[in-house]
Amino acid sequence: MTESWFRREFLTPRRLIFNVLFYGLQLFFFGYGWFSQERNQKLAALNGLKWSVWVSRGAGLTLAFLGGCILLPMLRNVIRIIRPKLAWLFPADENIWFHRQVAYALAFWSMVHTTAHYVNFFNVERTQVRVEKALDIHYTQPGGITGHFMLLIMVLMYTTAHHKVRHQCFEAFWYTHHLAFFWFIGLYAHATGCFVRDSVEPAYTYTFPFYNTEFCLGYESWRWTIWPGIAYFAERVWREIRARRATRLSKVLVHPSGAMELRIIKPSFKYVAGQWLFINIPEISSYQWHPFTITSAPEDPYVSVHIRQVGDWTFGLGDRLGAGPSVVQAMTKAAMAGQEKDEDGYGTRGNFVELASGSRDLPEVRIDGPYGAPAEDVFNVEVAVLIGAGIGVTPFASILKHIWYRQKKGTLMNLKRVEFFWVCRDAPSFGWFQTLLQEVEEAQIDPNFLRINIYLTQKISEDMLWNIAVNDAGAEYDPLTLLRTRTMFGRPDWKTIYSRMRQAIEVGQYLPGINSQLKTNVGTYFCGPTVLARAIKEATVAETTKDINFSFAKEHF
Amino acid sequence: MGNLIWHEWARYVSITASLYSIWAAFYGILYRKFFWDFIGGTLRAPGGLQPSPGIALFIDIIVKAPVVQLITMFMAMGMVALEFPAPFVKGTSIQRNFTIKLVMLIMQAFSAIMFYQGTNGAIYSLVAAIGYGRAMMLGEVMEEAKNNKGRGGKA
Repeated sequence: MTESWFRREFLTPRRLIFNVLFYGLQLFFFGYGWFSQERNQKLAALNGLKWSVWVSRGAGLTLAFLGGCILLPMLRNVIRIIRPKLAWLFPADENIWFHRQVAYALAFWSMVHTTAHYVNFFNVERTQVRVEKALDIHYTQPGGITGHFMLLIMVLMYTTAHHKVRHQCFEAFWYTHHLAFFWFIGLYAHATGCFVRDSVEPAYTYTFPFYNTEFCLGYESWRWTIWPGIAYFAERVWREIRARRATRLSKVLVHPSGAMELRIIKPSFKYVAGQWLFINIPEISSYQWHPFTITSAPEDPYVSVHIRQVGDWTFGLGDRLGAGPSVVQAMTKAAMAGQEKDEDGYGTRGNFVELASGSRDLPEVRIDGPYGAPAEDVFNVEVAVLIGAGIGVTPFASILKHIWYRQKKGTLMNLKRVEFFWVCRDAPSFGWFQTLLQEVEEAQIDPNFLRINIYLTQKISEDMLWNIAVNDAGAEYDPLTLLRTRTMFGRPDWKTIYSRMRQAIEVGQYLPGINSQLKTNVGTYFCGPTVLARAIKEATVAETTKDINFSFAKEHF
Repeated sequence: MGNLIWHEWARYVSITASLYSIWAAFYGILYRKFFWDFIGGTLRAPGGLQPSPGIALFIDIIVKAPVVQLITMFMAMGMVALEFPAPFVKGTSIQRNFTIKLVMLIMQAFSAIMFYQGTNGAIYSLVAAIGYGRAMMLGEVMEEAKNNKGRGGKA
């Protein structure tokens, strides 16, 4: 942790506003719930239980508020639609982060609420303000039953959502998290037992909501909290319908590096560069939806994703498509052998094998999406700095292709220059991406428009060093990446890169014709690990001046 | 993707259950009640539930003196120390032994179910015990931690 907790939470204006609003609202609801119970003359009998009933009611109202909040960040389609309009107001791409904050708060207030109720029921039994046993309230009345069930569900959901478990076994997280359905039923039904009442017996009725609000004096919070639930349910239904629209897997290409490229044709699927989708192959698993970045440009007649065989599901997919590990291994070996023999064989890595679709029928696929990513905004800035680290480079395939198409059409809008950075441990494992970069690089007429910078961070063996030293000298293409651009070694120094860029812009070298009076926007779009993101963000913040605005956006998976 | 490592998951449940039990035992000392006192008890107003004389022993160790609550609290604290793990158990073979954890969790569940506030802690402890049981059935082992491993980012 490089910065202190206090600095991060309180000295960053946006975070401060969020903290004040989010936690302030919770405290407000707690206080309001407390006093509306304490001051209510109708509930004088319950108020005989003193502080425990006030605490339970206050925490209950806060929990209702949080229960209404927890689904909001999961409304993916709604977020995608409102994102362009409201990106300035809140970081729409941080939706999972917000979901987690609400969950933590829910856990805390559940503890407060539950503790207070244990004391309440204990005292109900002791004083007999109502003639019943504590355990009757806990285990025979709706409030108690739903409450205990919700707590158990929370234990299961929270423990399987831990990032370690989630990474080990996504299924355990994914299926367990659907217990949320029952959790919400519990939430909406929690007050149906009419515990908060001024009558002796619960005032049940035969019509919805099955209790008489004249005597049952709860907050009726389900009237609000149910709407996000309905919206989320509707969204899931809509996603299901949309996924069932005509989709056809038209081609499967296997790249020598082992990546499988699926080309899918779905006319109803509209997207922009840099977005991602969920893919589902019923033959492998009918319920699993896996997220992948779209690697085709919107102009392409198909939607493509590149899939590397790394887990159960992707291995299964490889087997099903006839590109199992053995096949890929053989191909990789062949490609590498061929490359060694044929030193000047440019593009050997780019050769892919199209699996004959006639010999083997292709499985049915379903796709759901697209979902948002900040890189949609590249055309609103003058200079776009695209930084991909490792596997995080995938969204830029689509973006670079898209830029290339628009370059051909001459509709680049504000965009004057593109700086592309690719930081990775070993470039050869992303052979398919190199092919794409080659195409884009070849197509450049203006040598200054697109600059590709590749940084290789792996340790270099002696053999490799010689290889580079001998092959690199005077060669037209870089021996490692087969691009005109030279590969650089080691980690990039972001501070220097950005300060050079700023100086170049200031003296007018970088963007000829840009008037110094005008504000220049340099947008950075990053996809990769958080540690790197922080370093780059610091560099962008440090270099921002009156005339040059460096902005930063990070993508999430 | 991949397989669930049961003992790692069970550890999270076990920590949750133990923290719950510590808290439950704490306010179980303030509001003392035997969970099973409804068996043979009579409800009187005013006066509340009058336990049957047959269970006087439990009333002695839960209501008159909070013995069970204290035992649960110490057991749960021990469990947290074992699971977290505290510096003095870190790297010992006890910390990596699922059998001990399973037995401790079942014992914790037994003592927590005795008092009014402990039921959920008991249920979660059993869930964690099931997790460890499953880990043992699958033959999972906890690797011995390597001492010479540098901390991330500080190498």
